[in-house]
Amino acid sequence: MAGKTIVVTSGKGGVGKTTTVANLGTSLAKRKYSVVMVDTDIGLRNLDVVMGLENRIVYNLVDIIEGKCRKEQAMIRDRKLPNLFMIPAAQTREKNSISPEQMKELCSTLAAEYDYVLIDCPAGIEQGFKNAIAGADTALVVTTPEVSAIRDADRVIGLLEAAMLRHISLIINRLNVKMVKKGDMMSTQDIISLLSVPLLGVVPESDEVVVSTNRGVPLANDRNSKAGAAFIRMAARLNGENVPMDGEGSHGFMGRVKQLLWN
Amino acid sequence: MSLAKDNRSSTVSSEKPGQRPLAKERSDDTSEKGPPTVQVKADRNGFTLVPDPAASLDEIVAFMDERLEQSRNFFQKSEMVLDLRTRPMRTDEISVLCEKLYEKASVRVVEVRLSDELSFSMAQKGLKSRLGSKGARSGAPENYAPLIVRNTCRSGVRIVSPSDCVVLGDVNPGAEIIAEGDVVVFGALRGIAHAGAGGERAARIWALSIEPHQIRIADLVAVPPEGVKPVAPRFEVAEIQDGVIQVICL
Repeated sequence: MAGKTIVVTSGKGGVGKTTTVANLGTSLAKRKYSVVMVDTDIGLRNLDVVMGLENRIVYNLVDIIEGKCRKEQAMIRDRKLPNLFMIPAAQTREKNSISPEQMKELCSTLAAEYDYVLIDCPAGIEQGFKNAIAGADTALVVTTPEVSAIRDADRVIGLLEAAMLRHISLIINRLNVKMVKKGDMMSTQDIISLLSVPLLGVVPESDEVVVSTNRGVPLANDRNSKAGAAFIRMAARLNGENVPMDGEGSHGFMGRVKQLLWN
Repeated sequence: MSLAKDNRSSTVSSEKPGQRPLAKERSDDTSEKGPPTVQVKADRNGFTLVPDPAASLDEIVAFMDERLEQSRNFFQKSEMVLDLRTRPMRTDEISVLCEKLYEKASVRVVEVRLSDELSFSMAQKGLKSRLGSKGARSGAPENYAPLIVRNTCRSGVRIVSPSDCVVLGDVNPGAEIIAEGDVVVFGALRGIAHAGAGGERAARIWALSIEPHQIRIADLVAVPPEGVKPVAPRFEVAEIQDGVIQVICL
């Protein structure tokens, strides 16, 4: 059975697409699925840094498409998980070095051999975006709870629907529960009612993300991380499992006791 | 005698664009049995493709592939209009056909004709009325059926209607609805709506909730006031009263 090809996109830059790809890939691989992550942000590659594999790059995506190497030569295995692979983007080329048709072909070749193909889309809606969505059958749109990110997410969802990509889900990243309670930040409900796509999951705002990027170890590896746990739950939902939403705050046991006492 | 005959035959077969193109196309059409899969009509403005209602998409694409292969120089880099009045197509089918035309001979489809009054302009990526583009309005907006949009208009969508426009869904920020008549939104209007675009000051904008960036009626523009707005019990209407745009909650 062919694997699922999922593109993680957002429109706006810096909302957490690469972080999502790295963590979802890690979570799915930990559940013993074979996963390939493809970085299509040619010229501004980041997935290799977030995964901690930047020193191991010899060949990249453009080399595969131009025929300079086989895809196995460009795929870099994760340091910890043997069934997680990454294809880096080219740093010294431009986004028009590959075309949507070539991406579509590569994605179908990968989907034939691996359970999940995760595509990290660049910011924007031009050539890079068109390349990234060409081979996908599912899209995850990442947004943060701020007006500009939501506007861009709405535009991107419109473009995805026009490209006949039917399975679109939303990921809300960097939600700050305290600010939502104070009324300074949009709530999950506000965002969903504006964008009208099903929600895959909510990731809370966390300082750990910066640290994990610097170290090159995705948060899904860390048992104690709330953000990592959110990604693990999302991977389970992607897999079809029925994991209930934690809503706007994953308080944990003590948190819920506190709520009972002080309400 | 033989020399003259040779000269004549060579003129007909050479493919110089502009040199009696109409004659060449007609002769090809009559040589086929039954209606051609796609009629290629040439007129003053360019070419129009009229696909046969009974043809499948694959037949149409294959036909155009062959036709462009035979007369590639003739069609190279030309602009075409796709007439779908008798044979409607889905957006993905239109994409496939346009890509094939571009790939084969750099042909650009500039317009897709959907009905006698309505066509989709590929350049502006929006619907437009062919009547509006000619400049003269040959009848009041009420004479034409309203344009009904049956889904939410997301950011970046631009709808232009020669009469009224009804949106069954929300109009999100970044979307634009432009109508020569009224605009009716069966949802929240958060983008931009322009009613009476041709100058009709009696045009109105209706919505379950009007929270837009801007609303425009005829030649007037209005922005919403600061502060929290009251929730309308049923719906809201924007119209021109005393020379300014007013929004009434009902």
